[in-house]
Amino acid sequence: MKLSDVMGASGLSMYAIVALVLFVAAFVAVVLLTFAPGAAARHKRAAELPLEDDANGSASRTAE
Amino acid sequence: MNAASPHLDTFSYDDAIVRKFLWATFIWGLVGMLVGLVIALQLANPWFNFDISWLSFGRLRPLHTNAVIFAFAGNAIFTGAYYSTQRLLKTRMFSDRLSSFHFWGWQAIIVAAAITLPLGFTQAKEYAELEWPIDIAIAVVWVAFAINFFGTIARRRERHIYVAIWFYIASIITVAILHIFNNLSVPAGFLKSYPIYAGVQDAFMQWWYGHNAVAFFLTTPFLGLMYYFLPKAADRPVFSYKLSILHFWTIVFLYIWAGPHHLHYTALPDWASTLGMLFSVMLWMPSWGGMINGLLTLRGAWNKVAEEPVLKFFVVAITAYGMSTFEGPMLSVKSVNSLAHYTDWIIAHVHTGALGWNGLLTFGMIYWLAPRLFQAPLHSKKLAELHFWIASFGILLYVAAIYSAGITQGLMWRAFDETGRLAYPDFVETVMKLMPMYWVRVAGGTLYIIGMLVFGYNILMTWRARPKTYDVPQVSAPRLAKAYVDPHPVPAGGGLWARFSGADWHRRWERLPLLFSVMVVVAVVVASLAEIIPTFLIRSNVPTIASVKPYTPLELAGRDLYIREGCFNCHSQMVRPLRHETERFGEYSKPGEFVYDHPFLWGSRRIGPDLARVGGKFPDLWHVRHFDEPKAVVPNSIMPTYGHLGRNALDFDGIQRKIDAMAMLGVPYGEALTQAPAMAREQARTMAEAIRASGGPDGLGDREVIALIAYMQKLGRDIRTAAPVATGARP
Repeated sequence: MKLSDVMGASGLSMYAIVALVLFVAAFVAVVLLTFAPGAAARHKRAAELPLEDDANGSASRTAE
Repeated sequence: MNAASPHLDTFSYDDAIVRKFLWATFIWGLVGMLVGLVIALQLANPWFNFDISWLSFGRLRPLHTNAVIFAFAGNAIFTGAYYSTQRLLKTRMFSDRLSSFHFWGWQAIIVAAAITLPLGFTQAKEYAELEWPIDIAIAVVWVAFAINFFGTIARRRERHIYVAIWFYIASIITVAILHIFNNLSVPAGFLKSYPIYAGVQDAFMQWWYGHNAVAFFLTTPFLGLMYYFLPKAADRPVFSYKLSILHFWTIVFLYIWAGPHHLHYTALPDWASTLGMLFSVMLWMPSWGGMINGLLTLRGAWNKVAEEPVLKFFVVAITAYGMSTFEGPMLSVKSVNSLAHYTDWIIAHVHTGALGWNGLLTFGMIYWLAPRLFQAPLHSKKLAELHFWIASFGILLYVAAIYSAGITQGLMWRAFDETGRLAYPDFVETVMKLMPMYWVRVAGGTLYIIGMLVFGYNILMTWRARPKTYDVPQVSAPRLAKAYVDPHPVPAGGGLWARFSGADWHRRWERLPLLFSVMVVVAVVVASLAEIIPTFLIRSNVPTIASVKPYTPLELAGRDLYIREGCFNCHSQMVRPLRHETERFGEYSKPGEFVYDHPFLWGSRRIGPDLARVGGKFPDLWHVRHFDEPKAVVPNSIMPTYGHLGRNALDFDGIQRKIDAMAMLGVPYGEALTQAPAMAREQARTMAEAIRASGGPDGLGDREVIALIAYMQKLGRDIRTAAPVATGARP
């Protein structure tokens, strides 16, 4: 008996659906987070990152 | 925070390595494009093959694609990534030694490719042609790069990881996975190997790789560059950071599924090809989201575009990204694909992406970088403008001509006359029609290369104005505190939604590169497994055909010559189940026919006719004459001559090793396991005698050409007993 026979007979098609559900759930979570109320401030700060590196690294930042 | 802080570190960025990669980008770009010009000339007139085996189209075409993808675009990615990563993370690269190893290792690999590909050492898989020792070297250098990169992230002085870095992380991880799995093979000597996969599975694996090479080598790293260098050049933050996050995750989730659209109407199971189409169409959305995000970053700064060549390059690059990512999903729709597949349309599509998106983005980036890296003003803004216009016009000429060529040929192939017969039964007629377009392509490509020379001159002159010693500015930044203090703490209390949307856990993700990387791996691997494993493990996907037999030792040797000469670059071996194809070539191809094909040789472009059913179509002597001088039997043929096959002695003793490797892969050989050379000699002798008896040349029994003819005559013959070939097929 070949591995492919075993796999073919073992009824794994359910796993594809499980994977799909997990995928969609993870993606929806990312989307929700992106639009979550508190996100704007963090995004604004993150978007500025490329612009602040020319000057001294500490120039426009405060300690965390 | 002020300078008196106890945690303030002082350090410098390693720009020497960036300068090295910058030069490599220019030099290899020029080489790769010149090889492209040579092969464009070869298609316009086969005289440019010079009757030299290692300069023929089949050997040079992979050199062109590898050089522009991995050498030009590759070095461009490293240039931009080494520059931006250090600055975004406020730290020097993890190890200067690893950076240097990465640089020299990568260049050595390119040199190895430039030597082995023209000599005919190839795995016959597009963009994965390099043989196993070079593949191992690639893996080693890539891992060194990854260690250096993740080490840098670990030492960063900026808590948040900017979206450009996410794109780099996804690229590094995914390219490693793709490279390793597509190149699993059994060596049959130094510089010769057979993939562990066969036929349909090999095709599936290859285009999972091939498409994602486009995705994770030519798209995601360049998006990372866009998200860093565009805001720099425009001096304003990206239009929407939100959109960039969605852009990233959607691309990572979707891209990896799209590969099967390269195999529509082939012997790939239908479900897989539909899945590939669906995900490709969905990809349109994030791609355009990214394009819009790029273009709108220039909001309120469009006046700068008029005077700043860097921004001009960026704007057209991003527009080209938008055009090719609109076209990609469209081409992945089966009905569109049935017209476009195997034609020049695909070539036009990739050149919109490569010349427009990758090329122009690289030029814009380097024009921006050069004054900063060489610490001298750009030699001439005017020349940069000139470069922009020459390159843009060159792209237009190239793409417009090759689109027309593709659609023309596609329509000619499928045209029937009023009596229901093929309107253009003679394949070469559909090739002749393209010649004017091929010359326009030569003109367009030449313009692009002239632009490249103008670019090189400009950068060189900028470099010459550099200071005696480069100033290495000292940068200071506070070290990251061990414990993270959230600058936007989530207020206590509140319901589940408040806690979720406060997103403390997600912010932690973004800060933890390891976890982040694991997420990317999971997204990529799960998708890959769900799509690929079924074809490997579920038998019903590849029904076997009892009459399909392994290649005889001589045929196998001939197949390896077919691979060495790169015949698959112009000839497909896959008749699609479309009426005009079965009329023209014969019975459509079945998955079960390819179970002994390590590697698969379906091809992706028909510059010459399909060969899946060529066995028995012509006598051996026809093939002898055709290889020697194609024009002798097909007057308008643009095929290079293969006279050397009739002069080179066939290595009979080397065949045993090939058979042994095939047997290791499970190909059922019996007698051939011990007798391969003798069996091959016997078959060659019989064939050579028959050729001589029919009035052909003498003494072919120990020449390479006899093995290749044996292979040609085997193609499609196995199923002829099982399923009769459709009548009406004409030579």
